[in-house]
Amino acid sequence: MHGIKRRQWTEELLKQKKLQDQKKISEYRDLTKTVLDKKRKEIYTLETFDLTTQVLKINPEFNSVWNYRRDIINSLRDGLAIESWEDELNFTMAQMKVFPKVYWIWNHRVWILNNYPNSPLKIWQRELVIASKVLEMDARNYHAWHYRRIIVNEIEKISGKSMDKSELEYTTLNINQNISNFSSWHQRAKLLPRMFSTDEVMDKKKFINDEVSYITNAMFTDAEDQSVWLYIKWFIKNEIVSKTLSGDEYQKMLKDLKNNILAINEDEVEFSGVQNNWCLKILIVIEDIETSLGITNTSNKTEYIEQLIEADPLRKNRYMHLLNKH
Amino acid sequence: MSRAERRPSMAERRNSFLSSPMQSVGTPLVVPHLAGIEDPLPDTTPEKVDVLIAGTGMVESVLAAALSWQGSNVLHIDKNDYYGDTSATLTVDQLKQWVNDINSNSSKCYENAKLYISKTLSQRNKYQSRDFGIDLSPKILFANSDLLSILIKSRVHQYLEFQSLSNFHTFENDSFEKLTNSKQEIFTDQSLSLMTKRNLMKFIKFVLKWEEQPEIWKPYTDRPIIDLLLEKFKLEREQIFELIFSIGLCYNLESKTVGALQRIRRYLTSFDVYGPFPVLYSKYGGPGELSQGFCRSAAVGGATYKLNLQLVSYNPTTKEATFNDGSKVKVEEKVIMSPTQTASDSKNVPDQPYEVHRLTCIAEKSCSQWFAEGESAAIVVFPPNSLKSNNRQVVQAFILGSGTETCPAGTSIWYLSTTETGSRAELDLDAALEALEVSLIRETSTEFENENGILEFGPNGESIINSVKLGKSFKEYIPRDKIQFLLKLYYTQYTSTPVFDVVKDEFFNRKHDANQELLIPGASDNGVIFSSMPSAEISYDEVVTSAKVLYEKIVGSDDDFFDVDFEEDEVPTGSRTAPVEYENTFEEDDDEDIEMSNSNVEEAVGEMEI
Repeated sequence: MHGIKRRQWTEELLKQKKLQDQKKISEYRDLTKTVLDKKRKEIYTLETFDLTTQVLKINPEFNSVWNYRRDIINSLRDGLAIESWEDELNFTMAQMKVFPKVYWIWNHRVWILNNYPNSPLKIWQRELVIASKVLEMDARNYHAWHYRRIIVNEIEKISGKSMDKSELEYTTLNINQNISNFSSWHQRAKLLPRMFSTDEVMDKKKFINDEVSYITNAMFTDAEDQSVWLYIKWFIKNEIVSKTLSGDEYQKMLKDLKNNILAINEDEVEFSGVQNNWCLKILIVIEDIETSLGITNTSNKTEYIEQLIEADPLRKNRYMHLLNKH
Repeated sequence: MSRAERRPSMAERRNSFLSSPMQSVGTPLVVPHLAGIEDPLPDTTPEKVDVLIAGTGMVESVLAAALSWQGSNVLHIDKNDYYGDTSATLTVDQLKQWVNDINSNSSKCYENAKLYISKTLSQRNKYQSRDFGIDLSPKILFANSDLLSILIKSRVHQYLEFQSLSNFHTFENDSFEKLTNSKQEIFTDQSLSLMTKRNLMKFIKFVLKWEEQPEIWKPYTDRPIIDLLLEKFKLEREQIFELIFSIGLCYNLESKTVGALQRIRRYLTSFDVYGPFPVLYSKYGGPGELSQGFCRSAAVGGATYKLNLQLVSYNPTTKEATFNDGSKVKVEEKVIMSPTQTASDSKNVPDQPYEVHRLTCIAEKSCSQWFAEGESAAIVVFPPNSLKSNNRQVVQAFILGSGTETCPAGTSIWYLSTTETGSRAELDLDAALEALEVSLIRETSTEFENENGILEFGPNGESIINSVKLGKSFKEYIPRDKIQFLLKLYYTQYTSTPVFDVVKDEFFNRKHDANQELLIPGASDNGVIFSSMPSAEISYDEVVTSAKVLYEKIVGSDDDFFDVDFEEDEVPTGSRTAPVEYENTFEEDDDEDIEMSNSNVEEAVGEMEI
């Protein structure tokens, strides 16, 4: 397979590998036995601490050993210098590089930060840079997204200042790099209502209009990307939009959006002969909003739903349900 | 021929490689050290070989390595005292000699070589001849290409160092436009209209899987690609030119749909293979370095190398080959010869009807503004009708800076080429050179820095250089200082390979096939199979195909072409190597191959969506 080295396993090689593996397995078994034994006996020393390091290096999923490690740190806490805490951060970092998706490593790191003497602001700020780096390597590592939210929360708590603005910029940066970054769109949807409720947005109308241009741009760039459409669906129905804009402005925004979606869909039909399902779905959402606003125009909802059923027969019943909702 | 000065060979540059063969702990060096390259003149010529190859150009060297690893006994010679032949990387002195040779012998391969060397360069105070490595046929390597796979499989990549190239500029309206080719660039580009964005994305998605969608391109099969882009994808001229000429590297507006689609896809699928760039090139010189690498591999596989040796005659009946030093060898199977290596009374050299006109310059400017950050090379494409000379064919320029170690700091090498024929070609090359020159002077000048209206700010406070305005003000700007050129070289090269094509199998099925007994009386090259000269193609893409065709002629099939598996030599080890981070240059270690390190990175970051 591409990227994977083909290795001819001769009998000699297999024998060697088996011997190596056997040795490794028995060493690991002895080690865990010793560690669990000492844990039961509640021996909290630097020596047992080093033993947990050895186990966790091999198997970072072993949460009992992480627990034991924390117990040891807690009992030795008074004698620990700042360097030891830094060493512990370095240890989890090294582990994270090798195993970026192990819950216990992230969990342990948060624990260190919380227990770090005085837990100063600067260590959290440093941590934010680290979290960004991890997300740069893999924008969809949800551990890192979760971790980032924890850190931001803590920084806001310590500094008393909201970070919503810079976090929003961060999602923009990520989306600009990859418009399919669903995590960033999701984060955006979490940030906006909060920013509107705390009056962090100076010119709310301008903000909404800019956001509409942004999503229109995204929709034209890739009309097959569902993260964009899901965000649009959330956005147009959200009260930050309907309450910020006047009735007329809201209606106009919906109308413009509808026209753009229709343009995309027409272009799709002209190009490939089939409709874009996402266009149809969002058109239905817009028509529903318009109906609820009491705008009397001829509804195409039934037509859209029939087209969806034809294009996507596997979800026929769901579309039928939509049709009969009113 | 006396032994001229030369640039350090790849082996000489890598001292550690020579002095400590077992330096890498994990993997024993599969490729042992070789006398052939360091000592190009072995005392004896073997009495009997399977295959004799004359000329150490790119195709011949790949062929020699493939044959050696297949088990054939190869004698590989070159009449020159350096490796590379048609693909050589030369010093200034070697280049002078080469030009003299071209002009004094009436060659069917090169013509009209004109060399200008500035006083600064000839005086030898500031620069030495061997500070420069000038390629006779410069090439770029697509990250997704057959040659790259073979470089890895054969481990020849271990001898080489590669650098990335991400800047492809299209010359339009007197200024250079940088390509918008990735989804993120299309999304964030504020100069594109919404519908253009959509159309561009639609095309990019299509071209990646174009074969599966015949309903879209079939009606355009025999028509130029421009029709498909205009009618079906409704793209605008600017995007069309970028797609056809910069991304597709096509030569003119008549480029047909299928061929052009393949070429556009080649670029797009090469993007992000090793990082955010489509193309690589080798440090210290292009095809000259690669041919040397394959020769080295061939020598390890058992081939014998002799430079300064020319085949004087071959007798297809007795199978005896005679050389200019009087020695003879019996060739059991085939003789392969590059058209540049022929002796005086050769009469079987195939027609070479296609012209490639080249202009190579060394400028006393770093040109770093044309390169992406951390890189030292760029491609500039001049589409049809973009030049003063009203060029019908594209002019392609490959610019290399000192970071490539082919020229000293503060200088750069500009390789310009065109497929235009006759005297028009030189006019086009001159016009392109002038355009490059003028734009470089403008860009290095500081006069525009704070002029109103050029630097604008976007809605989020980011600065946008308004290239349209920049282009206009450039037009009114009269350059004050000229660029100093240390060297200029014009030459015309001939080839049997038509543009936009790879070498055809029929090319080799000619009268000079020994089996057909169509011998020309008195010819020195009866029964010899000729390889073809490099084509106008700026990438290495024809090389493997050409070498395979020749290989098949000799071995009977290309099934075992580089069917080597060096991985067997590895012993399982417990520790995995840490993922290698991408840092523009990937300099190959001897203990890990590219694919391996790449797969580790992927494994480490994984993929999971919320």
